[in-house]
Amino acid sequence: MMSNLFSNLNIGRFVIYLFLIVFALLYLSPLYVMLTTSLKDIEEIRSGNLLALPNDPSFYAWTKAWSSACTGSECEGLAPFFWNSVRIVVPAVLISTMIGAFNGYVLAKWRFRGSEFLFGALLFGCFIPFQVILLPMAMLLGFLGLSNTITGLVLVHVIYGVAFTTLFFRNYYVGIPDELVRAARLDGAGFFAIFRHVFLPLSTSIFVVTIIWQFTQIWNDFLFGVVYSGSGTQPITVALNNLVNTSVGGKEYNVDMAAAIIAALPTLFVYVVAGKYFVRGLTAGAVKG
Amino acid sequence: MNNTEQNNSSNAGDIKLKNICKSFGTTEVLKNIDLDIQDGEFLILIGPSGCGKSTLMNLIAGLEDISSGEIIIGGSDVSEKSPKDRDIAMVFQSYALYPTMNVARNISFGLEMRKVPKSEQESIINEVAELLQIDHLLDRKPGQLSGGQRQRVAMGRALARSPKAFLFDEPLSNLDAKLRVEMRTEIKKLHQRLRTTTVYVTHDQVEAMTLADRIAVLKDGVVQQLGTPYEIYNDPANKFVADFMGSPGMNFIECVVLNGNLIVESGNQTFEITVPCSEAIQSSGLDTVLLGIRPEMLTDPKPHHNSSFVQEVVFDVEVTEPMGADTIAIGQWNGVEIQTRLSPETGEVAGNGFALQVDTSKAIVFDPRTGQRIRE
Repeated sequence: MMSNLFSNLNIGRFVIYLFLIVFALLYLSPLYVMLTTSLKDIEEIRSGNLLALPNDPSFYAWTKAWSSACTGSECEGLAPFFWNSVRIVVPAVLISTMIGAFNGYVLAKWRFRGSEFLFGALLFGCFIPFQVILLPMAMLLGFLGLSNTITGLVLVHVIYGVAFTTLFFRNYYVGIPDELVRAARLDGAGFFAIFRHVFLPLSTSIFVVTIIWQFTQIWNDFLFGVVYSGSGTQPITVALNNLVNTSVGGKEYNVDMAAAIIAALPTLFVYVVAGKYFVRGLTAGAVKG
Repeated sequence: MNNTEQNNSSNAGDIKLKNICKSFGTTEVLKNIDLDIQDGEFLILIGPSGCGKSTLMNLIAGLEDISSGEIIIGGSDVSEKSPKDRDIAMVFQSYALYPTMNVARNISFGLEMRKVPKSEQESIINEVAELLQIDHLLDRKPGQLSGGQRQRVAMGRALARSPKAFLFDEPLSNLDAKLRVEMRTEIKKLHQRLRTTTVYVTHDQVEAMTLADRIAVLKDGVVQQLGTPYEIYNDPANKFVADFMGSPGMNFIECVVLNGNLIVESGNQTFEITVPCSEAIQSSGLDTVLLGIRPEMLTDPKPHHNSSFVQEVVFDVEVTEPMGADTIAIGQWNGVEIQTRLSPETGEVAGNGFALQVDTSKAIVFDPRTGQRIRE
């Protein structure tokens, strides 16, 4: 037994697992602290150990964070802002993904004079820092009468997202053989029919990848949310910031922690549900006919 | 197919290519192509890669635009029409089956796009599937099929619409050797049954010889010769065509001319070879010409061959390659390697000083500089 345990192979294995476990614990520790703190009451947090388990776990902080914590002058919790985020994210993700799929289809399979340049220009959009467009975008939204509205935020996220979604779909569709398009054209299918009947059914994995990417980006966005929203249209990230910065009496760490977890839950959920498609979609190669 | 009789009675399926040119940028890919394909004909386009044969097929299909010229299918000018309005079907090299659709929908997709009623679609699917023996595969996806089955489905998709013409773009090149021969026979049977005009691109000269009614040999975007397989093989227009068709290929030997006969040095002796076109050689005034003679005309002595064009030549066999049915023996004429075709028994024993029977009745002669035929 002992000699087996200390053979080269096993020592190597042991070291690898040790490192993996240590790093996993290290990365999980903030989540652990957040979870335990959110379940403690404020007395226990002040007096107790940061790493200790809660003596008397309670969901008081969670209820308060969701429905009655103060975010600035209002005290309705995160709930209304959570739904704001949903109303921003769902249309922005769907619209930018659909546009990306369509753009990708055109740029990959219906090349025209200047299409490569157009793709390059779109790609450039991926590298423009958010800060650069803040002012011009604010002017544009004002001009369109969309300042401080959910619609305005959806528009901003769609515009910013299209560069990424187009890139994803274009690169995926480039791997689909041109002969499929030719065959469909001879079969009498037009531009849209080929997209609908041939390309969309092939696109499940790239749709999942794009939707996860867009969902995470838009849900976690803070800058656009804080700049272009009004008092009733703030997304959850902005509300979380306000909640943490608003103190009535002492700092309620348990409520802050619960609120932070609530704000992060949807993206975690999406990863858990669709994560395997994400990896599969990123590594998916050409489709063989 | 229901429409077969219609196709036969009218001249619906003839394809006329008039003075077709195609350039990509400044590169001329096809130059002044004129082809007149009869209704029901099986025409093969053959040539080395890059000769423009696939481009020509794409032009007929309408997948690419012609630079100038006219394409007329079934009497109407389709030069400007989109692929779907040309009433033709195509089988691709990669089959290009729709991966997410099952076999039945792959076959019926073209009908669906043309708004053929559902019930009619089903009867056509069944008819086609039965014809191609794929009726048991209708529910499968292309990914679950073997290469040969995919090939059949691709053909089924083309057949379903009963088009005026079929275009095949190297359809057998992805199959293994045995299956390729099987499918080749099947395509020929299918064509004999349906008699639909067919244009078939290949670079395989055996496919071309076995399938074609007529063969068009292309090189550098120019039709070198258009003719029946017999004409292409036995009466090639120039050295390129002669060289391209036949396996093993034709022997080319540069020879000095003497009184219209050709001087050949073989087995350390000198022979004077008589060829059918000796008068033309004399009147051409060339000092040397290129003799073209196929290996099967260089054989072991056969008693029944007895004409003025048959003679015996001493030949040093350097290498023999037994093929089973015959043996290829390789040696030199005028310092050029040539291939001869011997019987397996003779091949076993042939060596230096072998008495080779040379039959020049089908030998042809080229101008060595231009590669053009010197004809009687």
